Amino acid sequence: MIKISSKNISRKESITVKFLYANAKERFKLELLSKEVGFEKEIHDQNLHRPGLALAGFFELFSHDRVQIFGNTEMKYLSQLTIAKRAEILSKLFAYNIPCVLITNNNKPYDEILEMSEKYKIPIFGSTHSTTKLSYLISDFLDDQFAPRASIHGSFVDVYGAGMLFVGNSGIGKSEVALDLVERGHRLVADDVVIFTKKGEGILMGSGTELVKHFMEIRGIGIIDVRSMFGIRAIRFQKRLEVVIELEIWDDTSEYTRTGLDDSTITILGVEIPYIKLPIIPGKNITVISEVIALNYLLKHYGYDAAKIFQNKLTTKLKAKRSEVDRVIDYFEHDFE
Amino acid sequence: MVDSCINKKKYLMIEREVEIVNNAGLHTRPAATIVKIAAKYKCEFFIHKDGMNINGKSIIGVMTLAAEKGSKIMLTFDGEDEEKAAEEIIDYFNRGFDEE
Repeated sequence: MIKISSKNISRKESITVKFLYANAKERFKLELLSKEVGFEKEIHDQNLHRPGLALAGFFELFSHDRVQIFGNTEMKYLSQLTIAKRAEILSKLFAYNIPCVLITNNNKPYDEILEMSEKYKIPIFGSTHSTTKLSYLISDFLDDQFAPRASIHGSFVDVYGAGMLFVGNSGIGKSEVALDLVERGHRLVADDVVIFTKKGEGILMGSGTELVKHFMEIRGIGIIDVRSMFGIRAIRFQKRLEVVIELEIWDDTSEYTRTGLDDSTITILGVEIPYIKLPIIPGKNITVISEVIALNYLLKHYGYDAAKIFQNKLTTKLKAKRSEVDRVIDYFEHDFE
Repeated sequence: MVDSCINKKKYLMIEREVEIVNNAGLHTRPAATIVKIAAKYKCEFFIHKDGMNINGKSIIGVMTLAAEKGSKIMLTFDGEDEEKAAEEIIDYFNRGFDEE
């Protein structure tokens, strides 16, 4: 089974406010309200914080290292304070090392907020989204940024909608299988270096690297570009990982599943993924077998497990104690074709 | 089924950090040479940089690292002929890929 060591796994420690703004500007309709200050500040936490209690003067356990969200409640509360009181509490709040402040619902920042932003170099952003919506969007973006990633050597292809990762030793023919699948109308996600990002609890999303995209190396030819060769239908940027197939030279001592009842799995970043060890022997069409694996996976996914159905039929027959071998149909009148 | 090969293992694993010393960095030509050298040996060869652990026998993988001058990368050799492989490949890195 393939080895995934700690070296294959990475996780971003921080992102800068500049990076967040560059990515969120268009996507989440984020607008810079303050001057361009504090853009080099780092965000280390994917969680967001609404500083309601802090504004009321309670600073114990104040999660100042998180992105702060000022929603309607915070703005309404500030509106009730006198200018002097408002300046005082904001001055206390901004004295903490806050990465940035997001104001939702198209609320306009008070002059005191902008003054503090300049004084403490903390950028203020505004959005027309509601607090719930913006929190969801930014949380999802930060979750993705801070999610653990694993880089795996293999070929990742979408076969009939199932994300299949081919792994195995160098030169065994992973790229050739991927190319063959592309030729048959399936879509390449990445070849050689695939980066998997954990999404939520049980999902791994795989994609290629920015540099390599859909280039691949075929031994004897060199580097080819699948996108320009086969067109847009032959590629996709990311896909959920659903099956891992390890290709290996046929080994007499190795055991290969015969019934498909004993499901093996491989654990990547704590997520269990169905795992199939596929021996390569002359005359065996790995591409067609891969398609069959994908179709079988889809059937299982939609509730039809061929191995189990067959087992149940056998058990029923054994219970009925009718041991004679029946034809599939007993008598088909005048069917001589 | 997997454990059986671990017991047979008589070699350790070699890990070395090397620095890219030539001006152009780890570009296409040296990447191709590294892959060619690695392919001669049976041992597994991995290169680790910035949380990416790529197979040193794959040219696309090696180029993915885009290792510029001055960057440090970790080489891992694992297999029966790991010592010879490590010697030849580390030497090639230290010679700056025979470039300036």
